[in-house]
Amino acid sequence: MKPETSTLTRNLSGRENSNSRFRTITSERLNETVYEYEHETGLKVFYVRKTGYNKKTAMFGTNYGSIDNVFKVPGQDNEIEVPDGIAHFLEHKLFEQEDGNMLDKFSRLGSSPNAFTSFNQTVYYFSCTDLFEENFRMLLDYVQNPWLTDENVEKEKGIIGQEIQMYKDNADWRVFFNLLDCLYVDHPVKLEIAGSLESISKINKELLYDCYNTFYTPSNMVVTAVADLEPETIFSITDNMIKFKDRGKVEKKYPDEPEKLNKEFKEQKLHVSMPLFNMGIKDNVRAEGFELLKRRAALSIVLYHAMGRSSDLYERLYSERLINDSFRCEVSLNTGYGYLVWGGQSPDPEKTASIISGTLREVASKGISPQTFSRIRKSQEGLFIRSLNSVEIIAREMLDSYFIGTGLFDEVKVFEELDTDYVNKVAKEVLNNPSALSVVNPL
Amino acid sequence: MGMKAGKTTAEKLAVRNGITFYRINSDKFKTARADLFFVDDLVKERASANALIPMIIKRGCAKYPGVKELESKLEELYGADIDGSVVKKGELQFIGFHMSHISDRYTNGERLFDECCDLLMCMLENPMKEDGGFKKSLFTQERDNLVDYIRSRVNDKMRYSLTRCLEEMCEGEPFAIPGDGTEEGALLLSPQNTLEIYEQMVSSYPAYAYISGQVDDKSIQRFIDGFLARDRGNVKKINTECVSKDVKQIKRLDEKMDVSQGKLCMGFRTHVSPVSEDYFPMVVYNGILGGDTHSKLFRNVREKASLAYYAQSVLEKYKGLMIIMSGIESANRTKAEEIILKQVEAMEQGDFSEEDIEAAKKSLETGMKSMQDSQSGIVDFFMSQHLTESGEDIDSMIEKLNSVTIDDVVRVAQKVQLDTIYFLKPDDRRQEVTI
Repeated sequence: MKPETSTLTRNLSGRENSNSRFRTITSERLNETVYEYEHETGLKVFYVRKTGYNKKTAMFGTNYGSIDNVFKVPGQDNEIEVPDGIAHFLEHKLFEQEDGNMLDKFSRLGSSPNAFTSFNQTVYYFSCTDLFEENFRMLLDYVQNPWLTDENVEKEKGIIGQEIQMYKDNADWRVFFNLLDCLYVDHPVKLEIAGSLESISKINKELLYDCYNTFYTPSNMVVTAVADLEPETIFSITDNMIKFKDRGKVEKKYPDEPEKLNKEFKEQKLHVSMPLFNMGIKDNVRAEGFELLKRRAALSIVLYHAMGRSSDLYERLYSERLINDSFRCEVSLNTGYGYLVWGGQSPDPEKTASIISGTLREVASKGISPQTFSRIRKSQEGLFIRSLNSVEIIAREMLDSYFIGTGLFDEVKVFEELDTDYVNKVAKEVLNNPSALSVVNPL
Repeated sequence: MGMKAGKTTAEKLAVRNGITFYRINSDKFKTARADLFFVDDLVKERASANALIPMIIKRGCAKYPGVKELESKLEELYGADIDGSVVKKGELQFIGFHMSHISDRYTNGERLFDECCDLLMCMLENPMKEDGGFKKSLFTQERDNLVDYIRSRVNDKMRYSLTRCLEEMCEGEPFAIPGDGTEEGALLLSPQNTLEIYEQMVSSYPAYAYISGQVDDKSIQRFIDGFLARDRGNVKKINTECVSKDVKQIKRLDEKMDVSQGKLCMGFRTHVSPVSEDYFPMVVYNGILGGDTHSKLFRNVREKASLAYYAQSVLEKYKGLMIIMSGIESANRTKAEEIILKQVEAMEQGDFSEEDIEAAKKSLETGMKSMQDSQSGIVDFFMSQHLTESGEDIDSMIEKLNSVTIDDVVRVAQKVQLDTIYFLKPDDRRQEVTI
């Protein structure tokens, strides 16, 4: 559970330049430039040049994750519902090509390929130091060309089955998904990303193609790259390699999630040394684009103020030995859902939870002081700047921000517009919502 | 500084008061950083205290006596980070402290290096004490936290099975002592005897300091001059030798636990020390066998037999060990073991292609080059180099790596000995209780 850290204050002077076939946006404050390019299919490409870096990375992602399980396949009239875990299954399968496994091919070039599936994204990427161009071509090529057979789909069930078994033994994962099950009545964010042994048994080649044809389409995807190379290299390779045609706007459906909790409490027993808890609240207000970023940043500040390491609450719980160093808090806000979550090890989760609930009500009514607000904002700003040391984080941030309809530097700009009044308004809207508690107890 | 992109060096600045100071030359980062390491032999008597000391130091100092005061200060400094931890490498413990902050270019005119260094030094030199020991309430909290932490290693089944395998394999050797010490060791500590070990640490453990990022010479000099104002005239010698042990009999151990997935860990002795000429062949060997997605283990255990999500081998550089790990169904255990041992055998017989060796080398080269894009990675790299006094720079290491031949790999393959097979076995009585 890593807190969202995309926050920054003042002095962002955005310079735009659109003389060439790509657009550039420069942040003097951050000493970074984003190059932006749109392919004729509607596929967008974002690039940051990191001078002096050996490591190079590129990501090819689709706005499609575990929550997208009801949708219309292009050319068909009715919506279909697909088994849990299918987005993740498809992610595994795309690595398999008619002439061999892509994981193997990338690593023969000395690069590290990987992919992940989250609630709302599936992202394929690699990192390398040499032969970026070959690697990049391979990435763009295989993601456009699925090769599924009945046989290779069956084979993957063994591997993914073991991945699912691994998560079953992971107490941090379990306590988190049990919390989501408490928070959400109907929304598919509560479902396991990899599905279950039972749900993946229903997955077949045809269903996988339905998912692929619906979501792997240029206008629903994005390419990001970070390297120390001429920008033109990135864009001309994209031009040459992108062959697929857009299949139109994705039509997907989510259930209407009620404001109430599904349940207040869930317990599971696992082989752990002491109880582990996750506690959370839903944010029932939906926002998009810049508003979403603003709301997310405000909630992060509120949450840090309430229970961050500099808070009275943290000091109290820590000195009473109700929490230890494992305690974390995080805001997760997206277009379709939003929640605040915190937790760690505790000898007495119920007592800890009740103290925290009391403090949250207090914070909602008293609000945050301008001094505390500016101090926490400053620290979040530092965390964001720090994160720009990593090529992977920059590539990921560009991808994330594109899918919610903003840009990399908006994550900075948003903090210029924040003030204590806004933060206190959002705090009132969210912190008074009922909280749920999930506990994993030792056997 | 005008360094060629990609070339990273550590420049020795001074040896002062028994501490060697280095400056890492790389100015592409958005942060500046100072690292300090104390090194000790891994011994039962001090392992738990060495692990506890950074936890106590992190709690504050005379000037910022509480978590709240200290953390608020760090927030003011743009989320500066001050941390301490203990790491086990071979039969040594590294007690490390660092501070990092965003470079002055990104602040609103504030200059953070001096202030962050002062804070780190305040914590290191003036931890909270009373009655000839560490402050009792704080000591007790952190000692209990350490015990909780040691107990919680069972929570992560992959790490737990690896630790257990190594413990069993190296029973009776210092390496069997966990990096965070033991519960028994922690319970023997008092505020007084822990403070004594802390005094030994700051005055006599070998120490190395690293500065990286955009820091001006004046600040660096100030850092060196103000460093640990105590007599360190008598720095003790530590033992960096890699202890090798011949395997007489293969050990087998099954441990039952209420888990869904079995964890197989196979421990091998490589008999190759980090300063030996066989070291790079060993690294390439490991790459071909189980280092990456092109490796024999990944291809055969995962992709061909579909037995596992992960199947990999890792080296313990300093102790000369290799561990193969895989998460499998209990019923597939024999099959998995067979496939794994067959791959190990294939390595001995030179049953791998020129393409395999090239892929392993390229992947290792990528790792060495990428390491230079992480400030902490660079520090860790040079720390290891300075400890083994290898004096080699990154480029010459890459060269050595690339000159490894198939014969070299086969030669080291034949030295590798299976020592211990550990299996964390799912208990059939397992039931999931969910309300």
